[in-house]
Amino acid sequence: MTKNEIPQPVAAPRSSFVRRLAGAQEAGLVLVIILMGTALTLLGGNKQKQFRIAVPEGASIVEYDASGTESELGTLPLQQITGWRVATGDEKNTYERASGYSFNANQNAFFGRRTVNKFLDSENLVLVAKDASFIAIMAVGMTAVIILAGIDLSVGAIYGLSALLGAMALQKVAGQDAGLFMSLPVGVGVCCLVGLACGAANGLMIVGLRVHPFVITLGTMAAYRGIIFVISGGQSVGNFPQSFTSGFFKAEFAGTYPVPVIVMIIVGVVGMFILAKTVVGRQVYAIGGNETAAKYAGIPVGRVKIIVYSLLGLLAGLSAAVYLGYLGAAEPNAGMTYELKVIAATVIGGASLMGGRGSAIGAVLGAIVIQLIDNGMIILEIDQSYNQIVMGVAIIIAVVIDQAKARLAPKG
Amino acid sequence: MFGRRSVSMMLGLGAVTLLASCGNQDTSDTATTGGSDGAAPAAATQTYTFGVIAKAEQNPVFQAARVGAEAAAKKLSEENDGVTVTINWRTPATEDAQKQAEFVELLTSQGVDGIAISCTDANLLQSSINAAAAGNVPVVTFDSDAPNSDRFAYYGVDDKAAGAKVMQELAAQLEGSGVVAVLSGNPNSANLSARVDGVREEAAKHEGIQIRDVFYAPETAADMAAKMQQVQTSNPDITGWALVGGWPLYTDNALDGIYENAKVVSMDPLPLPLAYVKAGQVQVLVGQPYYGWGYESVMLLFDKVHNGKDPAEVMNYAEFDIVNTDNVDEYAENWNIWDPTSGN
Repeated sequence: MTKNEIPQPVAAPRSSFVRRLAGAQEAGLVLVIILMGTALTLLGGNKQKQFRIAVPEGASIVEYDASGTESELGTLPLQQITGWRVATGDEKNTYERASGYSFNANQNAFFGRRTVNKFLDSENLVLVAKDASFIAIMAVGMTAVIILAGIDLSVGAIYGLSALLGAMALQKVAGQDAGLFMSLPVGVGVCCLVGLACGAANGLMIVGLRVHPFVITLGTMAAYRGIIFVISGGQSVGNFPQSFTSGFFKAEFAGTYPVPVIVMIIVGVVGMFILAKTVVGRQVYAIGGNETAAKYAGIPVGRVKIIVYSLLGLLAGLSAAVYLGYLGAAEPNAGMTYELKVIAATVIGGASLMGGRGSAIGAVLGAIVIQLIDNGMIILEIDQSYNQIVMGVAIIIAVVIDQAKARLAPKG
Repeated sequence: MFGRRSVSMMLGLGAVTLLASCGNQDTSDTATTGGSDGAAPAAATQTYTFGVIAKAEQNPVFQAARVGAEAAAKKLSEENDGVTVTINWRTPATEDAQKQAEFVELLTSQGVDGIAISCTDANLLQSSINAAAAGNVPVVTFDSDAPNSDRFAYYGVDDKAAGAKVMQELAAQLEGSGVVAVLSGNPNSANLSARVDGVREEAAKHEGIQIRDVFYAPETAADMAAKMQQVQTSNPDITGWALVGGWPLYTDNALDGIYENAKVVSMDPLPLPLAYVKAGQVQVLVGQPYYGWGYESVMLLFDKVHNGKDPAEVMNYAEFDIVNTDNVDEYAENWNIWDPTSGN
């Protein structure tokens, strides 16, 4: 055969634009989030946001009526007050009710109002991300479980149990005056250890007993909830060191509380790295794609499963630590039904319940999409009664789009 | 150099950042400091929006609270010229204190003028209530209080007193002597625990009354009814039942095999349990001010923000409603107002 007769490889046909776009998993979710945000910005309208003006020390305040007559503070009925005059040395300020000012005697401060967009207000955006973070952190771990073609129904119970034991440790070991170097390791450490232990127990039972994860985790969900009741006696646990709450997890930056969001981003990035760039991550995808083939390829299937369930437990514990730090207490019902939200976020994020597909960043974005629906209901003042209907329909649409996208995506 | 995935994510983050930076530019400034220059003219109408957050959408007592809140809003709008009061109802589907805390924060961020809340967990909600109050959004609690928070008022009943009332009525029915079983729901629920404590303390005052035990079951009608029947069958000497919630009475024939042998006193005179009183199977129902939870809370908030008035007392306790065969028909008429779908 001459060189001219050697068959030349034929270039693979280039995928259509639609197919390539559909293949970008997270791009679709980012687009959905941008579209939802744009719709809420345009449809939500504006709101009056309050801002605080403290009264200087030693200032004198008088209230005045429509004729300008001044009276001592607290003398006039509110509806007769036209405004307040504040004198501090030579400086005089006037605050008119018609301009949106009010005086809060308990705080000795005035509050004014300015107009901002309901959705695009930075405080609202951070709140949406913060509210999503508790679910998103767990959804990153659930993504790995679902890629394995597994499931974990006990994740909400693990969150609750980790929160309770972490709270008790913070209360008893750290004490209310403990500094950050004591409270943070105790709170986060105990929560993560408890979560890791519960997750590892799930993994060991699934692998060792060879029972379907649905059954094992259904049982452990009930067991962990029972342990919560026995230990808590139905009472919530609070009184944490301030260094753990307002000193760290609820630390304020420019009127917002972004630490849970930062934790969520870090977990998402680390999860993405582990799944995409590490050996164990590739093993997870391989097992999810075809467990038998993975076993024959020499992948330690049982060990990988135990690691994955343990990591989900660890992340549930971490989310519980964030919950403790932000809210300042652990209630016995913490995490009740959260497993459904975590699974929903994971599936909306692109994970396939059949296994073999999913992404950590997608899970984070999925949690944000769910939270945006909630936020939209409030901004648009939609009747709360429709919340679950809207949420259920949104999840179904997300899964249908996901399956359609999978069919359109380039193969091979 | 950059993959498709990285480029799309960067574009997305960039778009969100751009939108956010646009969003915080004041579209108009209605307030100025130092003098009246540039002040916006007074609005022709004043609109107040009050957020109302109950414990669980699925619990019908909170639907009555919602009706009460909306009725108060309507009345205030009609009676005050140039004033419109609206209610923003945000309640989790099931009891979830974390979700309630999220709603408090979101409503505060959205600029509501006040919040009324029934706290699933006082400890957990304390910091968000305090943050709302610090942000000049007054908070009133109803049904379940957060006593250590910065709420300015509470309206409702005392849960321990409610449990004691149930036991007091049952003791009267038993003429001071008998074996009593207590039925409760979620053992983690603080207000149910308080009611059980009230039952126990009141029972201790009656020498002839013995508490067999407190029996817990999932808070569904079928589970509760089944539990009662199992317990009565196993303990035929039980002569009285103290129900700290009316769950089993939301289904038919719940008390078959029980009412023939025991007196029953329960909380919550909702429409379905009233039928048991009419049939003579339940002797007394002890009611809370469900409609008042919403109605009075909105009134308290309006007085605070519109008239600048605090209530005379922080704790505003309502009387219990006692429903028996003498007044059951009259009480049933209330539900036509509180919940028009009740079919009463």
